[in-house]
Amino acid sequence: MFSMSEKELGKKWDRCLADGAIKLGTGLGLGIVFSVLFFKRHTWPISLGSGAGLGMAYANCQNNLRSHYMLHRGDKEQ
Amino acid sequence: MATRIWPVMKLATKVTIAGGAVYVAYDSGLLGNSEQGSEALRKAKAVIPPAMEEWMKYFGVEAQLPTIPKIEFSPVDAWNSGVQWTISNLSEAPTKATEYTSQGLQYLKDLTK
Repeated sequence: MFSMSEKELGKKWDRCLADGAIKLGTGLGLGIVFSVLFFKRHTWPISLGSGAGLGMAYANCQNNLRSHYMLHRGDKEQ
Repeated sequence: MATRIWPVMKLATKVTIAGGAVYVAYDSGLLGNSEQGSEALRKAKAVIPPAMEEWMKYFGVEAQLPTIPKIEFSPVDAWNSGVQWTISNLSEAPTKATEYTSQGLQYLKDLTK
């Protein structure tokens, strides 16, 4: 069946938000682990981890939203 | 000899714990693309109720957890309806303002009669 393009865009945004939340949580968790173990409970590893997580989510989101307009290698027709 | 090994042991333990945490995060797809992330989220959601039941039984608390309501809230729909509501109210605002002013003036006139 046909998929409505506006619904696909909504699904992509939903996935973006969920992915952002997951990566923020993961970055926060790993930052806390590193801060407690190696950096004497300073705050900066936590901020670094959360920021890196958000950045990864942003990059994923960007790729997902752009992939619609890109040509993929498998699309080459003979 | 033990005094020299102890800091090394501590460091090795810390590195093991930190490395294990990073490996677990990588292996469960938390650091991959968004499909892997939502897959991991779904697995976690499926695992939570049985785990909660186990914990409740362990602590002897037999309270029934209320079922988590299915959140049908879609931010995109809410945003769209919010925008429509704002713009329609803005467009009706002058008319409504004149109406209310005339009603207010009428009320004051009635008071002074």
